[in-house]
Amino acid sequence: MKEIFCNIDRCLACKSCEIACAIAHSQSGELIKALQEVPSPNHHVTVLKVDDKGGKVRLRSVALQCRQCSEPACVDACIAGGIVKDEITGIVRFDRDRCVGCWSCTMVCPFGAVIREQDSKIAVKCDRCEDREQPACVEACPTGALVFCEPEEFEALLAGSSSAIWEESK
Amino acid sequence: MRVVIIGNSAAGTGALEAFRKWDRDSPVTVISDETASLYSRCLLSYYMADDIDQSRLAFRARDFHKRLRAKVILGRKVELVDPEKQHVICDDGSKVGYDRLLIATGGSAKLPSNIPSNVDGVFVLRTIADAEVIRRCIHSGKRAVVLGGGLVGMKAAFALRKRGMEVTVVVRSPFVLSQMIDAGAARIVMARLKEHGIETLTGADVSEVESVKRHISAVKTAIVDSKGLESSGKLQPCDLLVVAKGVTPNMQMVNGTEIQCNRGIITNSKMQTSVENIYAAGDVAETYDIATQQQSVNALWTCAMQQGKIAGINMAGRAKDYDGSVGMNSINFPGVDLISFGMVRPPENQGYEVQTDGRAGARIYKKVVLKDNRIKGLVLVNRIDNAGVLLSLLSRKVDVTGIKSELLSDGFNFGRVLGSRGAAEQARYLKASQPTESYDEK
Repeated sequence: MKEIFCNIDRCLACKSCEIACAIAHSQSGELIKALQEVPSPNHHVTVLKVDDKGGKVRLRSVALQCRQCSEPACVDACIAGGIVKDEITGIVRFDRDRCVGCWSCTMVCPFGAVIREQDSKIAVKCDRCEDREQPACVEACPTGALVFCEPEEFEALLAGSSSAIWEESK
Repeated sequence: MRVVIIGNSAAGTGALEAFRKWDRDSPVTVISDETASLYSRCLLSYYMADDIDQSRLAFRARDFHKRLRAKVILGRKVELVDPEKQHVICDDGSKVGYDRLLIATGGSAKLPSNIPSNVDGVFVLRTIADAEVIRRCIHSGKRAVVLGGGLVGMKAAFALRKRGMEVTVVVRSPFVLSQMIDAGAARIVMARLKEHGIETLTGADVSEVESVKRHISAVKTAIVDSKGLESSGKLQPCDLLVVAKGVTPNMQMVNGTEIQCNRGIITNSKMQTSVENIYAAGDVAETYDIATQQQSVNALWTCAMQQGKIAGINMAGRAKDYDGSVGMNSINFPGVDLISFGMVRPPENQGYEVQTDGRAGARIYKKVVLKDNRIKGLVLVNRIDNAGVLLSLLSRKVDVTGIKSELLSDGFNFGRVLGSRGAAEQARYLKASQPTESYDEK
């Protein structure tokens, strides 16, 4: 099943993905208007620091979003039955109307990919931009770090890359 | 193959869903002693608080059982399991035969012997029926006492306060939530309770219930010293008493059978009891606790759901092991988001390592408990976003040597786990979304 992956050796931590994601999930869908929206739109992809100390070239980072787990811990944890795994698309769906903001999903997500909307106290996360051909974050990535493909394709992509990608760095 | 599931909450539902994935044909019967179908117990306090209406208590679609072709028998209590004859006997004398049985009967709220159950205004909070009757007794401006400062007690106290009642929580421990937090986190929680107008009587208990015309009028409190001895305390007038002193597993139906019980019904990693074709899951089951490395009953929604799923898969003839449970809780009320899991107050001199980060002014508190460089427990107050990353490290018993000094920093997240564990974490990242292998046929 196609998924969003991030090649950490190409991620420059420019946060273009975060901006594109927030725009895609805003009411207006436009950057300038989105900036003025209340509540301000959230991004469901987050750029995380991978290395603590700088390497020779630069710090590595990863743009991380919900991994749409095949056996999602959040589905088991949700006390409201508001999280469902779509067996056909593979997408794990959060239902805003059922969420009571108990953060049980936050408690169990092994990737820390649940975003807590502070104003509404509702848990949200990556919906893989179901209605778009390419997820907004992938479309916006200027370095090709973010890709939307089958995991085998991604592994091949990594294998073909020149640098020692994803190897144990220490 | 006839399958019977006793219990219609998290474990029973998780089991039915998982079973039907692997077995589309075998007849399944779900038996529940409650008359209401499929509601989430954990949402009852939200319903009491009027945060949600009754329709939102359902945690699966209305046609859930129909879609999964399960026969549902409601309002009937299973009184006996007969492993020899392979049937269960209900309170109306009816018998239901099975080839594989799941006991997911949950627990019942404990009622201390000095609390009368026949006085109006005295309640426990376990079932939808309990919540409904409490709701009818909520009157703004009236006084409520909550006995017990655990998760249910706190959720009840906040719900009653939100509805305008004057609330006093009576708790034996020096602070509330004593099973899931430590003194450091308690300072923030207790201060917040006070600000919110909830009074707490710590080191106290209810010794007597006073009533007028069979309706509660006051509780007599007792002061409990550090040795557990009680002396008489003050009289606390109240119109409503909610008793939240924990739950006890509903396992009477296996009394006298060869099914082995301890604090709960003893299960193995397949959620099987000591009788091969009888499984147990949820609040009634005793499982291996990953953090404490002991058998225990972790009566929690998430654990029940996971155990039910494992039971369902194995009952369908596939093999899947349960890694074990972890005590875990998430609680939130105005000004406090709190998550804790595992061992939060480790015994001294047994090699546990504790890190804390307390910022009382900012109402932030973090604590991690480690042993042999593995996470054993965690408390997070108001910085909870990466709780699951740490829980995952605990559950997988990951050696965190390389990132030990960062676990409590605000910058800690999955990125750092990826950085410190390279290939191992890359595989997780890559494979998370991909369907796992079909479980082996037994």
